[in-house]
This record gives sequence, structure tokens and C-alpha cells, in this order.
Amino acid sequence: MAVNLKRSSGEDSDGGKTSRRRMLGWLTGVGLFGSAGLSAVSNFVFIKPRATYGQPQRFSVGKPEDFPEGTRSVLGARGICIVREGTKLAAISTTCTHLGCTVASAETGFACPCHGSRFDPDGNVTGGPAPRPLPWFQVTLAPNGEIEVDKDIEITPGSYLTL
Amino acid sequence: MSPVTPPKPSPFAALLELPGNVWKSIFRNPLPSNDLERSATSFTNFFLHIHPVKVHKNSLRPAYTFGLGLISFFLFVILIVTGILLMFYYVPSTTQAYDQMLDLRGTVAFGTLLRNMHRWSAHAMVAVVFLHLCRVFLTGSYKKPREFNWVVGVILFLLTLFMSFTGYLLPWDQLAFWAITVGTAIAGYAPIVGKDMQFLLMGGTSVGQEALLRFYVLHVAVLPSVLVLAIAIHFWRIRKDGGLSRSEDADPVISLEAIPTVKASVLEPKKTYGLQGLVRGPLTKVGQIPDNTVFSWPNLFLAELFTFVVTLSAILIVSLLFNAPLEEPVNALHPPNPAKAPWYFLGLQEMVSYSAFWGGIGVPTIFVLLLLGTPYLDRGPKGVGKWFSRDRLLANTIFITFVVANIIFVIIGTFFRGANWSFVTPW
Ligand code: HEM
Ligand code: FES
Repeated sequence: MAVNLKRSSGEDSDGGKTSRRRMLGWLTGVGLFGSAGLSAVSNFVFIKPRATYGQPQRFSVGKPEDFPEGTRSVLGARGICIVREGTKLAAISTTCTHLGCTVASAETGFACPCHGSRFDPDGNVTGGPAPRPLPWFQVTLAPNGEIEVDKDIEITPGSYLTL
Repeated sequence: MSPVTPPKPSPFAALLELPGNVWKSIFRNPLPSNDLERSATSFTNFFLHIHPVKVHKNSLRPAYTFGLGLISFFLFVILIVTGILLMFYYVPSTTQAYDQMLDLRGTVAFGTLLRNMHRWSAHAMVAVVFLHLCRVFLTGSYKKPREFNWVVGVILFLLTLFMSFTGYLLPWDQLAFWAITVGTAIAGYAPIVGKDMQFLLMGGTSVGQEALLRFYVLHVAVLPSVLVLAIAIHFWRIRKDGGLSRSEDADPVISLEAIPTVKASVLEPKKTYGLQGLVRGPLTKVGQIPDNTVFSWPNLFLAELFTFVVTLSAILIVSLLFNAPLEEPVNALHPPNPAKAPWYFLGLQEMVSYSAFWGGIGVPTIFVLLLLGTPYLDRGPKGVGKWFSRDRLLANTIFITFVVANIIFVIIGTFFRGANWSFVTPW
């Protein structure tokens, strides 16, 4: 087997043939790479789920009587802590704003076991790498008398629902 | 004239010769006894032909490479074999995965051993690939013409880390769950694409069934295929870059007077060349006697066999002595306290405990970019092929500083962090 290294010559450099061939080459290239790029993108579209089946973000947590005055109850499965002070009620997130571990309640508020972030009872950062305070979620009283928390709606920390 | 009929072979004789004939049809050459046959053996065997027929003595010096690249490869082979076996039992389901782990330990024959081998080889591979990277750096082997193979190497290192990252979600125990919760959250801090990347990785907004399935597919199909491809390119490039690096004085100096230099790369248009003429690389060594090469058969192959046997035995012994840990099943409400990643990610975890962005994204990205850029920034041709060459004092010092810094972070994370990641002394 031998390889011929003579350049295959097209027509003269100004001739119509060469430029047409070039043009066709370009079109083919754009077509091929374009479709390759498009299919690459569509792979990502494919693996991005359109619907997720996680927990509902809006749920009821029980009657106000379930949370006696002056208590703080961590609802682990919901990722919130219900704070009751007198007639006021609030829901503070227990998901660390650093990297998503679940914080535990501590004497000084909340503490995260993963990288040592600490929060005061209102969720403000008092130490560690957490960049933001723990968010507060909207709490409403449903017509049937149950407390409803909506984790999609964050409210200003310190604003309580007054019963 | 009656035609001469060849003697009819008796069916019995054919049967007697059967084993020999089958053998010869597979292995065309007998065990080599002269140099021509030694060459032919390397050249005609599918598994051997990725090797050169002759290797430089320097490449065989154990104290030059420590065989680290080869050990990485053998560990990868062990991981593939044990991994495929584990796949016969594993189910990527949040309700079954952990039970399958218990089953492997309790009822499956050799289950514990296989799981141990897979786990310890994975740990070893991370360590050995990193040491191999250090060897290549400290001998200046990334320099021209090996720049691109260094880049392939950095990609291999990252792939190895991703392999272990995706792998340790699979047992679905506490370490798995919280390490991946944290790991994917780190990805979320990347600028612009971060949040999308996190969502794509988890297939949702929290680590659950979708995430487990995704990590499984990445771990058993996507990443291994990419890794195999990258290793193939890595090996191919070693050959095309002229074998392993060596210092200039590793070859005897010969005067070129008597030997007219032929440049295969100068191709005159009017001539035709056989394919051989096109193969780039060192020209035939005719006349360059004495050269410092030896035949791959048996020198290189025996060294490789030896390395493989040692690697496999070491993994077997460790796996018989120590069981791979399995923590409590996932409890999404309570992270273990302290929640620690495996040792090779503890440096990262320590950095992340100062700042999520800088520790998890910023510094690692700078590290990787520096690594990738090394051969293109450090262009001096001197100091290739020698450990700690004086000509490379600056580069080596910077590199060692980075490595030591990382080791210190790993040590702090491993021994000096207690509950709530607060500073403790191990004594
Ligand atoms: C899956 C991981 C890897 C495998 C299986 C692998 C395999 C190998 C093997 C078998 C060799 C032959 C020499 C030796 O054994 O040392 C080699 C050489 C080399 N490797 Fe790797 N390697 C891996 C990762 C890396 C990494 C992380 C780097 C650097 C960033 C790298 C860069 C190189 C270079 C530049 C050479 C040529 C060295 C020389 O010419 O002296 N490789 N590799
Ligand atoms: S996740 Fe809470 S401190 Fe890092």
C-alpha cells in the first residue's frame, strides 16, 4: 500500500470550481457540526426532568393547640421549626443555608453538624460559613383552623402570624 | 497418468493434533528464542502490540516511575471486574440499595470480599493516580512534546475523583446521603450554571430516588466509558510522544557524520511513500549502536506482570483484613455529627467550612486551571527526566507547596474536627 502525497489540484485559484467546492465544504461542515451540537444540547434537555415528585411545598402542620406557648418544635420531615411565642407563630427553615445539611436546635439557637455554622433562635448567622440567615416561611391559618406553611414563600424574618 | 492423490489424513491424527492446531491458530509464534521472534511476539499479539518492540532502559527503572501509572491502570481493571460483579446484586433504589449492601455482607458468596476489593481499590486508585501526577510533575515529564498527554492526565485525575464521588452515594447510607447533599450543593455555588447543574445532577430539588438513579448511571456507564476512552488516548500518546521521558544524558552521544540524517517529515510532493515512511517518531536506530534499549519481551512484560501481581495481592490482603465501612441507613432528618466525607475530600470539606464558594468552587477551579496550564506556562526545555532537577527548582517548589497545603487541610479535616466541625485535638 502506498500513499500518494501529490496535492489534488482543483481548478485555478480564481476559477468557479474551487469556490463552489469551498462553499459546499462550508455548508457540509456547518450542517454536520450544527446537528452534532444540537443533539448534544437536546441530551441535556432530555435529562432535565420536567416534573419532580418531591414533597409538596405547601402543607398543613396541625392546629395551633399542638404548639403550646413558648415552645419550639422541629418538624424534621418538613425541614422546619415551628416557633410559638404567646399568640404569635412562625416557621423557620432547618435547612442550612451553607450546603444544605439539616441543622439541629441548640441552646443558642441552631447548629449545623456539617461545617459548623451557628444560628441564633431567629435564624441569624452567629458563626461558621453559612452565607445567609435561615429563611422564614409564610404561615397562614386555613379556614378549617389548621396552620398552613408554604415553603415557596419566604417572608421577612421576624414577621409572625398572630393568632 | 493417474493423478497423485495426497495421503488421506486419518481422522484420528487430526484429533490428536487438535489442541496443538488450535493453539497455533491463536498464537502464531512459538515462544521467542531470538530477537526477530521477540519482536514478532510484541508485534502480532493483540494485547501486547500497544507496547513498543523495544523499550528504553530508563523507562524500566523502578525508581524513575515507581510504576505508578501502571498501578493506576491495574487498579482500574480490578475496579471494573469487581464492579461488574457487584452489579449482579445491586439495585439503585432508595428502598433496596441499603438492604442489598447488607445482603452482600451476609448471604452472597464472596460478597464481602468483592465489596471490600471494590472499595479499597477505589481509595487506592485516587491515591495512586495523584502520586502518578506528582511523579510526572517532579520529573518534568509534562514538557514538550508531552504537553497534551499531561492535559489528558489531568482529565483522568478529575474523572477518577468523579467516579469515587458518584460511587459513594450508591450504598445509600448516612455518609452517602450527606456527602452528596453537600457535594451537589457545592455545585450549586458555581456561577451562572450552578443551580442548573445541581438540578440536573439530583434530578430534582433534593437527594432522593432520582439522584440515586442518576449517580448510578454516571457511575456504571457514563464515567467508565469516558475513562476508558481517555486512558486509550493516554496510552496512545505515550507511544506517539516517543515513549517515556528521559534525561538527555540517558542516551550515548553519537556523531552524526557517518549517518546521513533522514527526515521522514519532509515529504516531497512527487514521490510516493509506503505507510512506514509516514509514521512519525524516532527513526530506525540503525547505526546508533550501542543504544540503551532492550526488547519488551520479556523485560517490559515481566515487569508489568510483576506489578500486576503485587497490586492484586495487596488489594486482596487488605480486603481480607479490613471490611469496607457501611454506616447507618439514610436518615434525611439527622446528619451524622460530625458529617465527614472520605479522606481525599476532607481537604475540600475543610476549605468549604471557611467559604462555600471559595473553598468549593473558586480554589479548586484555580487549582485545576493551573494544573492544565502547567505545560503551557512552564516552557523551559531543561530538567526533563530527572527527579527534583535543579533546573526546575521554582516549578517544583510551587507544586510541592500546593501539595503540602492540601495535605495539611486533609489532616486538619481528618483529625482536628469534631462535633459541629469545631476544632478538637485528637489526643
Ligand atoms: C486513570 C488514571 C491514569 C492512568 C491509568 C495512567 C497511566 C499511565 C501509564 C501506564 C503511564 C506509563 C508510565 C508510568 O507508569 O508512570 C503514564 C505516563 C504518563 N502519564 Fe499517566 N495515567 C493516569 C493519570 C495521569 C495523570 C493524572 C497525569 C497528570 C496530570 C498523567 C500524565 C502522564 C504523563 C505526562 C505520562 C508520560 C510520562 C513520561 O513520559 O515520563 N497521567 N500514565
Ligand atoms: S451545611 Fe451547614 S455548615 Fe455546611
